[in-house]
Amino acid sequence: MSDRLRPLLVVAAVLVLVLGVVPAVLGAFDRSYLYQVANLALIFVLLAASMHLVTGVAGLLQLGHAAFYGVGAYTAALLTTEAGLSFGWTLPLAGLGAAFVAVLVALPTMRLVSIYFAVATLGIGQMLYLVMLNWVPVTKGPNGILVTSGLTLFGYDLSRPASAYFVVAVVTLASLWVIHRLSHSYYGNALRSLREDDQCADAMGLDTVRLKIESFAVSGFFAGIAGALWAHTAGYISPADFSFPQSILILAMVVVGGLGSLPGAVIGALVLILLPEVLRPVGDFRNIIVGGVLFFSILLMPKGIIGEVSALDLVRRQLGGAWRGEGTKAGSEVGWR
Amino acid sequence: MTTLLTINGATRRFGGLTAVDGVSTTVAKGELVGVIGPNGAGKTTLFNLISGFTPLSAGKVHFKGRRIDGQKPFRIARLGIGRTFQNLRIFPNMSVFDNVSVGAAGMLGVNAAGAVFGGKARSEAISRRAWAALEQVGLQGLAGELAANISYGRRKYLEIARALAMEPELIILDEPAAGLNDTETRELAAFIKRLHGDGMTVLLVEHDMGLVMGICERVVVLASGRKIADAAPEVVRKDAAVLEAYLGVEE
Ligand SMILES: Nc1ncnc2c1ncn2[C@@H]1O[C@H](COP(=O)(O)OP(=O)(O)OP(=O)(O)O)[C@@H](O)[C@H]1O
Ligand SMILES: [Mg+2]
Repeated sequence: MSDRLRPLLVVAAVLVLVLGVVPAVLGAFDRSYLYQVANLALIFVLLAASMHLVTGVAGLLQLGHAAFYGVGAYTAALLTTEAGLSFGWTLPLAGLGAAFVAVLVALPTMRLVSIYFAVATLGIGQMLYLVMLNWVPVTKGPNGILVTSGLTLFGYDLSRPASAYFVVAVVTLASLWVIHRLSHSYYGNALRSLREDDQCADAMGLDTVRLKIESFAVSGFFAGIAGALWAHTAGYISPADFSFPQSILILAMVVVGGLGSLPGAVIGALVLILLPEVLRPVGDFRNIIVGGVLFFSILLMPKGIIGEVSALDLVRRQLGGAWRGEGTKAGSEVGWR
Repeated sequence: MTTLLTINGATRRFGGLTAVDGVSTTVAKGELVGVIGPNGAGKTTLFNLISGFTPLSAGKVHFKGRRIDGQKPFRIARLGIGRTFQNLRIFPNMSVFDNVSVGAAGMLGVNAAGAVFGGKARSEAISRRAWAALEQVGLQGLAGELAANISYGRRKYLEIARALAMEPELIILDEPAAGLNDTETRELAAFIKRLHGDGMTVLLVEHDMGLVMGICERVVVLASGRKIADAAPEVVRKDAAVLEAYLGVEE
Protein backbone atom coordinates (compact mmCIF):
# COMPACT_ATOMS: atom_id res chain seq x y z
CA MET A 1 0.00 0.00 0.00
CA SER A 2 1.28 3.43 -0.83
CA ASP A 3 2.65 5.37 2.12
CA ARG A 4 0.55 8.35 1.26
CA LEU A 5 -2.64 6.40 1.00
CA ARG A 6 -2.44 4.51 4.26
CA PRO A 7 -2.87 7.46 6.67
CA LEU A 8 -5.89 8.60 4.67
CA LEU A 9 -7.41 5.13 4.87
CA VAL A 10 -6.82 4.90 8.62
CA VAL A 11 -8.42 8.29 9.19
CA ALA A 12 -11.30 7.39 6.87
CA ALA A 13 -11.86 4.12 8.74
CA VAL A 14 -12.05 5.94 12.09
CA LEU A 15 -14.44 8.54 10.67
CA VAL A 16 -16.70 5.90 9.10
CA LEU A 17 -16.77 3.94 12.34
CA VAL A 18 -17.46 6.84 14.71
CA LEU A 19 -19.64 8.98 12.44
CA GLY A 20 -21.26 6.24 10.35
CA VAL A 21 -21.43 2.76 11.83
CA VAL A 22 -21.97 3.71 15.48
CA PRO A 23 -24.76 6.24 14.79
CA ALA A 24 -26.40 3.73 12.42
CA VAL A 25 -26.43 1.08 15.13
CA LEU A 26 -27.62 3.59 17.73
CA GLY A 27 -30.34 4.71 15.34
CA ALA A 28 -31.47 1.15 14.74
CA PHE A 29 -32.09 0.63 18.44
CA ASP A 30 -33.10 4.24 19.00
CA ARG A 31 -33.00 4.23 22.78
CA SER A 32 -31.84 7.37 24.56
CA TYR A 33 -30.03 5.23 27.11
CA LEU A 34 -27.74 3.87 24.38
CA TYR A 35 -26.99 7.37 23.12
CA GLN A 36 -26.14 8.36 26.67
CA VAL A 37 -23.68 5.46 26.97
CA ALA A 38 -22.10 6.32 23.62
CA ASN A 39 -21.67 9.96 24.67
CA LEU A 40 -20.23 8.95 28.01
CA ALA A 41 -17.75 6.62 26.33
CA LEU A 42 -16.57 9.39 24.00
CA ILE A 43 -16.32 11.91 26.83
CA PHE A 44 -14.16 9.51 28.83
CA VAL A 45 -12.05 8.80 25.75
CA LEU A 46 -11.33 12.51 25.68
CA LEU A 47 -10.66 12.63 29.43
CA ALA A 48 -8.27 9.69 29.21
CA ALA A 49 -6.53 11.17 26.17
CA SER A 50 -6.03 14.48 27.94
CA MET A 51 -4.65 12.76 31.02
CA HIS A 52 -2.44 10.64 28.77
CA LEU A 53 -0.68 13.81 27.68
CA VAL A 54 0.21 15.01 31.15
CA THR A 55 0.61 11.71 33.02
CA GLY A 56 1.62 9.24 30.32
CA VAL A 57 3.77 11.48 28.14
CA ALA A 58 5.05 14.24 30.44
CA GLY A 59 5.12 11.87 33.41
CA LEU A 60 3.31 14.13 35.87
CA LEU A 61 1.08 11.95 38.01
CA GLN A 62 -2.18 13.87 38.02
CA LEU A 63 -4.66 12.76 40.69
CA GLY A 64 -7.13 15.62 40.32
CA HIS A 65 -8.04 15.42 36.65
CA ALA A 66 -11.78 15.08 37.28
CA ALA A 67 -11.77 18.49 38.96
CA PHE A 68 -10.76 20.18 35.69
CA TYR A 69 -13.48 18.17 33.98
CA GLY A 70 -15.79 19.67 36.61
CA VAL A 71 -14.55 23.21 36.09
CA GLY A 72 -15.37 22.83 32.39
CA ALA A 73 -18.78 21.33 33.09
CA TYR A 74 -19.76 24.01 35.60
CA THR A 75 -18.45 26.77 33.35
CA ALA A 76 -20.55 25.51 30.45
CA ALA A 77 -23.62 24.84 32.61
CA LEU A 78 -23.57 28.25 34.29
CA LEU A 79 -22.88 30.14 31.07
CA THR A 80 -25.89 28.42 29.53
CA THR A 81 -28.34 28.63 32.41
CA GLU A 82 -27.34 32.04 33.80
CA ALA A 83 -26.06 33.92 30.75
CA GLY A 84 -28.02 32.12 28.06
CA LEU A 85 -24.95 31.41 25.96
CA SER A 86 -25.13 28.61 23.44
CA PHE A 87 -22.75 25.74 22.80
CA GLY A 88 -20.61 27.69 20.33
CA TRP A 89 -19.51 29.87 23.25
CA THR A 90 -19.72 27.55 26.21
CA LEU A 91 -17.49 24.90 24.65
CA PRO A 92 -14.37 27.02 24.11
CA LEU A 93 -14.97 28.99 27.31
CA ALA A 94 -15.23 25.78 29.33
CA GLY A 95 -11.91 24.66 27.88
CA LEU A 96 -10.24 27.99 28.55
CA GLY A 97 -11.68 28.18 32.06
CA ALA A 98 -10.29 24.78 32.94
CA ALA A 99 -6.95 25.62 31.32
CA PHE A 100 -6.80 28.85 33.31
CA VAL A 101 -7.40 27.02 36.59
CA ALA A 102 -4.80 24.43 35.52
CA VAL A 103 -2.18 27.13 35.00
CA LEU A 104 -2.99 28.67 38.39
CA VAL A 105 -2.53 25.26 39.97
CA ALA A 106 0.57 24.45 37.98
CA LEU A 107 2.55 27.60 38.76
CA PRO A 108 3.24 26.78 42.41
CA THR A 109 3.28 22.98 42.10
CA MET A 110 5.51 22.39 39.06
CA ARG A 111 8.70 22.37 41.05
CA LEU A 112 7.46 19.50 43.16
CA VAL A 113 8.64 16.09 42.05
CA SER A 114 6.96 12.73 41.61
CA ILE A 115 4.84 11.70 44.54
CA TYR A 116 4.79 15.21 46.04
CA PHE A 117 3.35 16.59 42.85
CA ALA A 118 0.76 13.81 42.82
CA VAL A 119 -0.33 14.62 46.36
CA ALA A 120 -0.54 18.32 45.49
CA THR A 121 -2.86 17.56 42.55
CA LEU A 122 -4.90 15.32 44.84
CA GLY A 123 -5.31 18.26 47.21
CA ILE A 124 -6.24 20.65 44.41
CA GLY A 125 -8.79 18.19 43.05
CA GLN A 126 -10.31 17.84 46.47
CA MET A 127 -10.42 21.63 46.94
CA LEU A 128 -12.15 22.22 43.62
CA TYR A 129 -14.61 19.46 44.44
CA LEU A 130 -15.42 21.08 47.78
CA VAL A 131 -15.95 24.41 46.03
CA MET A 132 -18.48 22.76 43.70
CA LEU A 133 -20.15 21.14 46.68
CA ASN A 134 -20.25 24.12 49.05
CA TRP A 135 -20.39 27.29 46.96
CA VAL A 136 -24.15 26.91 46.93
CA PRO A 137 -25.13 30.39 45.61
CA VAL A 138 -23.25 29.70 42.38
CA THR A 139 -22.99 25.94 41.93
CA LYS A 140 -26.26 25.04 43.69
CA GLY A 141 -24.16 22.69 45.83
CA PRO A 142 -25.15 19.04 46.08
CA ASN A 143 -28.41 19.73 44.23
CA GLY A 144 -26.48 20.19 41.02
CA ILE A 145 -27.58 22.12 37.95
CA LEU A 146 -30.19 21.22 35.37
CA VAL A 147 -28.95 22.06 31.90
CA THR A 148 -31.93 21.78 29.64
CA SER A 149 -30.91 24.11 26.86
CA GLY A 150 -27.84 25.35 25.14
CA LEU A 151 -26.99 22.63 22.66
CA THR A 152 -27.55 24.86 19.67
CA LEU A 153 -25.08 25.92 17.02
CA PHE A 154 -25.73 28.82 14.64
CA GLY A 155 -29.38 28.67 15.64
CA TYR A 156 -29.76 24.96 14.91
CA ASP A 157 -31.13 22.85 17.72
CA LEU A 158 -28.80 19.90 18.28
CA SER A 159 -30.35 18.54 21.44
CA ARG A 160 -32.02 15.47 19.87
CA PRO A 161 -30.04 12.38 20.94
CA ALA A 162 -28.87 11.61 17.41
CA SER A 163 -27.55 15.10 16.74
CA ALA A 164 -26.10 15.43 20.23
CA TYR A 165 -24.10 12.28 19.56
CA PHE A 166 -22.65 13.85 16.43
CA VAL A 167 -21.65 16.95 18.37
CA VAL A 168 -19.86 14.88 21.00
CA ALA A 169 -18.22 12.68 18.36
CA VAL A 170 -16.97 15.54 16.22
CA VAL A 171 -15.60 17.50 19.17
CA THR A 172 -13.92 14.39 20.59
CA LEU A 173 -12.36 13.44 17.25
CA ALA A 174 -11.07 16.97 16.68
CA SER A 175 -9.59 17.04 20.18
CA LEU A 176 -7.99 13.63 19.66
CA TRP A 177 -6.41 14.90 16.49
CA VAL A 178 -4.79 17.77 18.40
CA ILE A 179 -3.61 15.46 21.19
CA HIS A 180 -2.25 13.08 18.55
CA ARG A 181 -0.27 15.87 16.93
CA LEU A 182 1.10 16.88 20.32
CA SER A 183 2.05 13.48 21.61
CA HIS A 184 3.33 12.05 18.33
CA SER A 185 5.76 14.77 17.36
CA TYR A 186 8.95 16.42 18.51
CA TYR A 187 6.74 18.14 21.08
CA GLY A 188 5.73 14.79 22.52
CA ASN A 189 9.36 13.72 22.55
CA ALA A 190 10.27 16.83 24.48
CA LEU A 191 7.56 16.01 27.03
CA ARG A 192 8.78 12.41 27.22
CA SER A 193 12.28 13.63 27.96
CA LEU A 194 10.89 15.52 30.98
CA ARG A 195 9.40 12.30 32.23
CA GLU A 196 12.65 10.42 31.69
CA ASP A 197 15.07 12.96 33.21
CA ASP A 198 14.05 16.58 33.43
CA GLN A 199 17.46 17.87 34.53
CA CYS A 200 18.95 16.27 31.50
CA ALA A 201 16.25 17.80 29.29
CA ASP A 202 17.18 21.14 30.80
CA ALA A 203 20.78 20.62 29.66
CA MET A 204 19.43 20.09 26.13
CA GLY A 205 18.01 23.60 26.08
CA LEU A 206 14.42 22.75 26.97
CA ASP A 207 12.56 25.13 29.24
CA THR A 208 11.28 22.31 31.41
CA VAL A 209 9.12 24.39 33.72
CA ARG A 210 7.34 26.12 30.84
CA LEU A 211 6.77 22.81 29.07
CA LYS A 212 5.31 21.20 32.17
CA ILE A 213 2.94 24.10 32.75
CA GLU A 214 1.98 24.06 29.09
CA SER A 215 1.21 20.34 29.09
CA PHE A 216 -0.79 20.74 32.26
CA ALA A 217 -2.78 23.59 30.71
CA VAL A 218 -3.46 21.73 27.46
CA SER A 219 -4.55 18.68 29.39
CA GLY A 220 -6.81 20.86 31.55
CA PHE A 221 -8.23 22.50 28.44
CA PHE A 222 -9.39 19.21 26.98
CA ALA A 223 -10.74 18.03 30.33
CA GLY A 224 -12.76 21.26 30.31
CA ILE A 225 -14.00 20.54 26.80
CA ALA A 226 -15.08 17.09 27.98
CA GLY A 227 -16.89 18.80 30.86
CA ALA A 228 -18.84 21.02 28.49
CA LEU A 229 -19.85 17.98 26.42
CA TRP A 230 -21.06 16.25 29.56
CA ALA A 231 -22.98 19.28 30.84
CA HIS A 232 -24.80 19.73 27.54
CA THR A 233 -25.59 16.08 26.85
CA ALA A 234 -26.33 14.71 30.32
CA GLY A 235 -28.74 17.53 31.09
CA TYR A 236 -27.80 17.50 34.75
CA ILE A 237 -24.49 17.85 36.58
CA SER A 238 -23.61 17.54 40.23
CA PRO A 239 -20.33 17.53 42.19
CA ALA A 240 -20.32 13.74 42.46
CA ASP A 241 -19.58 13.54 38.72
CA PHE A 242 -16.21 15.19 39.35
CA SER A 243 -15.04 13.62 42.59
CA PHE A 244 -11.82 11.79 43.39
CA PRO A 245 -13.08 8.34 42.29
CA GLN A 246 -13.61 9.81 38.81
CA SER A 247 -9.98 10.95 38.72
CA ILE A 248 -8.90 7.47 39.68
CA LEU A 249 -11.17 5.97 37.03
CA ILE A 250 -9.50 8.12 34.37
CA LEU A 251 -6.08 7.19 35.71
CA ALA A 252 -7.04 3.50 35.55
CA MET A 253 -8.06 3.93 31.90
CA VAL A 254 -4.72 5.47 31.03
CA VAL A 255 -2.72 2.82 32.89
CA VAL A 256 -4.72 -0.20 31.74
CA GLY A 257 -4.59 1.05 28.16
CA GLY A 258 -0.86 1.70 28.36
CA LEU A 259 0.88 4.58 30.08
CA GLY A 260 2.28 6.91 27.44
CA SER A 261 0.16 5.38 24.68
CA LEU A 262 -2.65 7.40 23.07
CA PRO A 263 -4.38 4.45 21.40
CA GLY A 264 -4.08 2.72 24.76
CA ALA A 265 -5.81 5.58 26.56
CA VAL A 266 -8.66 5.43 24.04
CA ILE A 267 -9.07 1.68 24.38
CA GLY A 268 -8.72 1.83 28.17
CA ALA A 269 -11.55 4.38 28.32
CA LEU A 270 -13.80 2.34 26.03
CA VAL A 271 -13.20 -0.83 28.04
CA LEU A 272 -13.84 0.75 31.42
CA ILE A 273 -17.00 2.56 30.30
CA LEU A 274 -18.51 -0.12 28.07
CA LEU A 275 -17.66 -3.19 30.14
CA PRO A 276 -19.87 -2.21 33.10
CA GLU A 277 -22.69 -1.42 30.67
CA VAL A 278 -22.36 -4.74 28.88
CA LEU A 279 -22.34 -6.48 32.24
CA ARG A 280 -25.46 -4.68 33.46
CA PRO A 281 -27.60 -7.87 33.27
CA VAL A 282 -25.49 -9.58 35.95
CA GLY A 283 -26.38 -6.89 38.47
CA ASP A 284 -24.07 -5.55 41.15
CA PHE A 285 -21.77 -8.49 40.67
CA ARG A 286 -20.48 -6.63 37.59
CA ASN A 287 -18.42 -4.28 39.74
CA ILE A 288 -16.46 -7.24 41.00
CA ILE A 289 -15.95 -8.44 37.44
CA VAL A 290 -14.71 -5.00 36.34
CA GLY A 291 -12.32 -4.93 39.30
CA GLY A 292 -11.09 -8.39 38.38
CA VAL A 293 -10.55 -7.39 34.76
CA LEU A 294 -8.54 -4.36 35.95
CA PHE A 295 -6.46 -6.48 38.29
CA PHE A 296 -5.66 -9.25 35.85
CA SER A 297 -5.07 -6.99 32.89
CA ILE A 298 -2.43 -5.04 34.79
CA LEU A 299 -0.95 -8.27 36.13
CA LEU A 300 -0.71 -9.85 32.70
CA MET A 301 0.00 -6.68 30.72
CA PRO A 302 1.89 -4.31 33.02
CA LYS A 303 2.69 -2.09 30.05
CA GLY A 304 -0.98 -1.86 29.16
CA ILE A 305 -3.19 -3.18 26.41
CA ILE A 306 -1.07 -1.26 23.89
CA GLY A 307 2.19 -0.23 25.57
CA GLU A 308 3.94 3.00 24.67
CA VAL A 309 6.59 1.42 22.46
CA SER A 310 4.11 -0.57 20.38
CA ALA A 311 1.75 2.40 20.24
CA LEU A 312 4.43 4.69 18.84
CA ASP A 313 5.37 1.99 16.36
CA LEU A 314 1.77 1.58 15.32
CA VAL A 315 1.16 5.29 14.90
CA ARG A 316 4.33 5.67 12.88
CA ARG A 317 3.36 2.89 10.54
CA GLN A 318 -0.34 3.68 10.20
CA LEU A 319 -0.33 7.44 10.23
CA GLY A 320 2.97 7.98 8.48
CA GLY A 321 4.57 9.90 11.32
CA ALA A 322 7.91 8.85 9.93
CA TRP A 323 10.29 11.28 8.40
CA ARG A 324 12.66 9.30 6.26
CA GLY A 325 16.32 9.76 6.96
CA GLU A 326 18.76 10.64 4.24
CA GLY A 327 18.77 7.81 1.78
CA THR A 328 16.77 4.70 2.33
CA LYS A 329 19.07 2.69 4.54
CA ALA A 330 17.59 -0.13 6.48
CA GLY A 331 16.23 1.03 9.80
CA SER A 332 16.09 4.64 8.73
CA GLU A 333 12.36 4.81 9.06
CA VAL A 334 12.16 6.69 12.32
CA GLY A 335 11.56 10.24 13.31
CA TRP A 336 8.53 12.38 13.62
CA ARG A 337 6.69 14.78 11.52
CA MET B 1 42.31 32.64 18.63
CA THR B 2 39.07 33.87 20.11
CA THR B 3 38.24 33.02 23.67
CA LEU B 4 35.03 31.06 24.02
CA LEU B 5 34.82 30.35 27.72
CA THR B 6 36.31 32.38 30.55
CA ILE B 7 36.18 31.15 34.13
CA ASN B 8 37.17 33.73 36.66
CA GLY B 9 37.75 32.83 40.30
CA ALA B 10 34.98 30.23 40.24
CA THR B 11 34.21 29.10 43.77
CA ARG B 12 31.63 26.74 45.13
CA ARG B 13 31.13 25.87 48.77
CA PHE B 14 28.99 23.05 50.09
CA GLY B 15 28.59 23.91 53.75
CA GLY B 16 32.10 23.86 55.16
CA LEU B 17 33.59 22.16 52.11
CA THR B 18 34.97 24.24 49.26
CA ALA B 19 34.52 21.93 46.29
CA VAL B 20 35.84 24.45 43.76
CA ASP B 21 38.16 27.10 45.09
CA GLY B 22 38.96 30.18 43.01
CA VAL B 23 39.53 28.40 39.71
CA SER B 24 40.32 30.57 36.70
CA THR B 25 41.01 29.44 33.17
CA THR B 26 39.93 30.06 29.59
CA VAL B 27 39.02 27.88 26.67
CA ALA B 28 39.65 29.21 23.17
CA LYS B 29 37.58 28.32 20.15
CA GLY B 30 38.75 25.04 18.67
CA GLU B 31 40.72 23.94 21.72
CA LEU B 32 40.65 20.50 23.29
CA VAL B 33 41.22 20.97 27.00
CA GLY B 34 41.39 18.21 29.58
CA VAL B 35 40.52 18.56 33.25
CA ILE B 36 42.05 15.97 35.56
CA GLY B 37 42.38 15.52 39.28
CA PRO B 38 41.95 12.91 42.01
CA ASN B 39 38.51 11.81 43.22
CA GLY B 40 36.60 14.66 44.80
CA ALA B 41 38.91 17.28 43.29
CA GLY B 42 35.91 19.28 42.10
CA LYS B 43 35.92 18.46 38.38
CA THR B 44 32.23 17.65 38.09
CA THR B 45 31.34 20.60 40.28
CA LEU B 46 33.33 22.87 37.95
CA PHE B 47 31.34 21.49 34.99
CA ASN B 48 28.11 22.07 36.87
CA LEU B 49 29.15 25.66 37.52
CA ILE B 50 29.72 26.19 33.80
CA SER B 51 26.46 24.56 32.68
CA GLY B 52 24.37 26.26 35.35
CA PHE B 53 23.46 23.15 37.32
CA THR B 54 25.11 24.49 40.45
CA PRO B 55 25.19 28.18 41.36
CA LEU B 56 28.56 29.79 42.07
CA SER B 57 29.41 30.96 45.58
CA ALA B 58 31.83 33.47 44.07
CA GLY B 59 33.43 34.23 40.74
CA LYS B 60 32.22 34.67 37.19
CA VAL B 61 31.78 32.62 34.05
CA HIS B 62 31.62 34.19 30.59
CA PHE B 63 30.74 32.44 27.34
CA LYS B 64 31.24 34.23 24.05
CA GLY B 65 31.69 37.44 26.01
CA ARG B 66 28.36 37.01 27.81
CA ARG B 67 28.12 36.45 31.51
CA ILE B 68 26.38 33.11 32.03
CA ASP B 69 26.70 32.33 35.72
CA GLY B 70 23.36 32.68 37.48
CA GLN B 71 21.46 31.76 34.31
CA LYS B 72 19.24 28.72 34.06
CA PRO B 73 20.80 25.59 32.54
CA PHE B 74 18.54 25.62 29.49
CA ARG B 75 19.52 29.21 28.67
CA ILE B 76 23.20 28.37 28.94
CA ALA B 77 22.62 25.31 26.76
CA ARG B 78 20.91 27.42 24.12
CA LEU B 79 23.90 29.74 23.98
CA GLY B 80 25.82 26.77 22.63
CA ILE B 81 27.10 24.56 25.43
CA GLY B 82 26.30 20.87 25.18
CA ARG B 83 27.19 18.46 27.95
CA THR B 84 27.21 14.85 29.02
CA PHE B 85 27.03 13.52 32.55
CA GLN B 86 29.47 11.51 34.62
CA ASN B 87 26.96 8.77 35.36
CA LEU B 88 25.43 8.40 31.91
CA ARG B 89 22.06 10.06 31.68
CA ILE B 90 20.03 9.08 28.66
CA PHE B 91 16.27 8.79 28.22
CA PRO B 92 15.96 5.00 28.62
CA ASN B 93 12.33 4.56 27.52
CA MET B 94 12.73 6.48 24.29
CA SER B 95 14.22 5.29 21.04
CA VAL B 96 17.81 6.12 20.15
CA PHE B 97 16.58 8.52 17.50
CA ASP B 98 14.10 10.20 19.82
CA ASN B 99 16.81 10.66 22.44
CA VAL B 100 18.99 12.50 19.98
CA SER B 101 16.10 14.48 18.53
CA VAL B 102 15.49 16.06 21.93
CA GLY B 103 18.92 17.68 21.72
CA ALA B 104 18.02 19.22 18.38
CA ALA B 105 14.49 20.17 19.46
CA GLY B 106 15.74 21.99 22.54
CA MET B 107 17.92 24.22 20.41
CA LEU B 108 15.44 24.81 17.59
CA GLY B 109 12.59 25.52 19.97
CA VAL B 110 9.52 23.56 20.95
CA ASN B 111 6.01 24.91 21.19
CA ALA B 112 2.60 23.32 21.27
CA ALA B 113 0.90 25.44 18.62
CA GLY B 114 3.72 24.83 16.18
CA ALA B 115 3.57 21.08 16.71
CA VAL B 116 -0.19 20.95 16.11
CA PHE B 117 -0.75 23.45 13.33
CA GLY B 118 2.75 24.12 12.03
CA GLY B 119 4.17 22.68 8.87
CA LYS B 120 6.90 20.12 8.52
CA ALA B 121 9.82 22.54 8.39
CA ARG B 122 10.62 22.44 12.11
CA SER B 123 10.33 18.70 12.48
CA GLU B 124 12.39 18.08 9.36
CA ALA B 125 15.12 20.38 10.61
CA ILE B 126 15.10 18.48 13.92
CA SER B 127 15.20 15.13 12.15
CA ARG B 128 18.07 16.21 9.90
CA ARG B 129 20.14 17.32 12.85
CA ALA B 130 19.37 14.17 14.77
CA TRP B 131 20.38 12.00 11.82
CA ALA B 132 23.58 13.90 11.30
CA ALA B 133 24.50 13.44 14.96
CA LEU B 134 23.66 9.73 14.87
CA GLU B 135 25.81 9.27 11.79
CA GLN B 136 28.64 11.17 13.44
CA VAL B 137 28.80 8.59 16.23
CA GLY B 138 27.83 5.67 14.00
CA LEU B 139 24.55 4.79 15.67
CA GLN B 140 22.25 5.32 12.67
CA GLY B 141 21.67 1.57 12.38
CA LEU B 142 20.19 1.48 15.88
CA ALA B 143 17.98 4.54 15.48
CA GLY B 144 14.75 2.66 16.13
CA GLU B 145 15.99 0.72 19.17
CA LEU B 146 14.93 1.60 22.66
CA ALA B 147 17.84 3.39 24.34
CA ALA B 148 17.63 1.05 27.32
CA ASN B 149 18.24 -1.93 25.04
CA ILE B 150 21.57 -0.94 23.51
CA SER B 151 24.95 -1.77 25.04
CA TYR B 152 26.61 0.41 27.64
CA GLY B 153 29.36 1.51 25.29
CA ARG B 154 26.82 2.59 22.68
CA ARG B 155 24.78 4.44 25.26
CA LYS B 156 27.89 6.50 25.97
CA TYR B 157 28.01 7.49 22.30
CA LEU B 158 24.27 8.10 22.34
CA GLU B 159 24.73 10.62 25.11
CA ILE B 160 27.45 12.35 23.12
CA ALA B 161 25.29 12.30 19.97
CA ARG B 162 22.45 13.93 21.87
CA ALA B 163 24.78 16.77 22.83
CA LEU B 164 26.12 16.99 19.27
CA ALA B 165 22.58 17.29 17.89
CA MET B 166 22.44 20.58 19.73
CA GLU B 167 25.21 21.71 17.36
CA PRO B 168 26.96 23.35 20.31
CA GLU B 169 30.02 25.54 20.08
CA LEU B 170 31.48 23.97 23.19
CA ILE B 171 30.91 20.43 24.33
CA ILE B 172 31.79 19.37 27.85
CA LEU B 173 32.24 15.67 28.52
CA ASP B 174 32.34 14.39 32.08
CA GLU B 175 34.33 11.15 32.19
CA PRO B 176 33.13 9.71 28.87
CA ALA B 177 35.50 6.73 29.24
CA ALA B 178 34.24 5.67 32.67
CA GLY B 179 33.16 2.04 32.52
CA LEU B 180 34.71 1.38 29.10
CA ASN B 181 37.38 -1.26 28.52
CA ASP B 182 40.79 -0.45 27.01
CA THR B 183 39.79 -1.01 23.39
CA GLU B 184 36.65 1.07 23.80
CA THR B 185 38.62 3.81 25.52
CA ARG B 186 41.08 3.92 22.61
CA GLU B 187 38.20 4.16 20.16
CA LEU B 188 36.66 6.93 22.18
CA ALA B 189 39.95 8.82 22.24
CA ALA B 190 40.12 8.58 18.46
CA PHE B 191 36.52 9.75 18.21
CA ILE B 192 37.09 12.79 20.43
CA LYS B 193 40.20 13.62 18.47
CA ARG B 194 38.25 13.44 15.22
CA LEU B 195 35.51 15.60 16.68
CA HIS B 196 38.10 18.16 17.66
CA GLY B 197 39.71 17.87 14.25
CA ASP B 198 36.35 18.77 12.71
CA GLY B 199 36.47 22.04 14.62
CA MET B 200 34.60 21.30 17.85
CA THR B 201 35.77 22.92 21.06
CA VAL B 202 35.95 20.25 23.74
CA LEU B 203 36.33 20.40 27.50
CA LEU B 204 36.97 16.93 28.83
CA VAL B 205 37.04 15.59 32.37
CA GLU B 206 38.76 12.25 32.57
CA HIS B 207 40.16 9.88 35.09
CA ASP B 208 42.02 7.98 32.42
CA MET B 209 45.34 9.87 32.36
CA GLY B 210 46.44 8.13 29.21
CA LEU B 211 43.42 9.37 27.31
CA VAL B 212 43.78 12.96 28.47
CA MET B 213 47.54 13.12 28.02
CA GLY B 214 47.24 11.46 24.64
CA ILE B 215 44.76 13.78 22.97
CA CYS B 216 44.50 17.07 24.87
CA GLU B 217 46.38 20.19 23.87
CA ARG B 218 46.22 21.59 27.35
CA VAL B 219 45.49 20.06 30.71
CA VAL B 220 44.02 21.73 33.78
CA VAL B 221 44.77 19.90 37.01
CA LEU B 222 42.53 20.29 40.03
CA ALA B 223 43.26 19.08 43.56
CA SER B 224 40.96 19.71 46.51
CA GLY B 225 39.12 22.30 44.48
CA ARG B 226 42.19 24.34 43.56
CA LYS B 227 43.85 24.59 40.19
CA ILE B 228 47.41 23.37 40.63
CA ALA B 229 48.50 23.25 37.00
CA ASP B 230 47.31 24.49 33.60
CA ALA B 231 49.69 23.65 30.79
CA ALA B 232 50.54 21.31 27.93
CA PRO B 233 50.42 17.58 28.79
CA GLU B 234 54.19 17.08 28.67
CA VAL B 235 54.69 19.96 31.10
CA VAL B 236 51.95 18.79 33.47
CA ARG B 237 53.38 15.29 33.48
CA LYS B 238 56.59 16.54 35.11
CA ASP B 239 54.97 19.12 37.39
CA ALA B 240 55.97 18.58 41.02
CA ALA B 241 52.62 19.69 42.46
CA VAL B 242 50.75 17.36 40.10
CA LEU B 243 52.94 14.39 40.94
CA GLU B 244 52.42 15.12 44.60
CA ALA B 245 48.64 15.33 44.23
CA TYR B 246 48.50 12.08 42.27
CA LEU B 247 51.04 10.12 44.26
CA GLY B 248 49.72 11.43 47.54
CA VAL B 249 53.15 12.62 48.72
CA GLU B 250 52.83 14.45 52.02
CA GLU B 251 54.80 17.58 52.70
N1 LIG C 1 25.72 18.64 45.91
C1 LIG C 1 26.77 18.48 46.76
N2 LIG C 1 26.59 18.65 48.08
C2 LIG C 1 27.63 18.50 48.92
N3 LIG C 1 28.86 18.19 48.56
C3 LIG C 1 29.11 18.01 47.25
C4 LIG C 1 28.06 18.13 46.28
N4 LIG C 1 28.58 17.90 45.05
C5 LIG C 1 29.88 17.62 45.27
N5 LIG C 1 30.20 17.69 46.57
C6 LIG C 1 31.53 17.47 47.13
O1 LIG C 1 32.42 18.32 46.45
C7 LIG C 1 33.66 17.65 46.24
C8 LIG C 1 33.99 17.67 44.78
O2 LIG C 1 33.08 16.78 44.11
P1 LIG C 1 33.12 16.54 42.54
O3 LIG C 1 32.04 15.61 42.23
O4 LIG C 1 33.12 17.85 41.86
O5 LIG C 1 34.50 15.84 42.36
P2 LIG C 1 35.12 15.15 41.08
O6 LIG C 1 36.42 15.77 40.87
O7 LIG C 1 34.16 15.20 39.96
O8 LIG C 1 35.30 13.68 41.59
P3 LIG C 1 35.17 12.31 40.80
O9 LIG C 1 36.46 12.09 40.14
O10 LIG C 1 34.90 11.31 41.88
O11 LIG C 1 34.02 12.43 39.86
C9 LIG C 1 33.52 16.26 46.82
O12 LIG C 1 34.10 16.25 48.11
C10 LIG C 1 32.03 16.05 46.90
O13 LIG C 1 31.70 15.23 47.98
MG1 LIG D 1 33.15 13.86 38.81
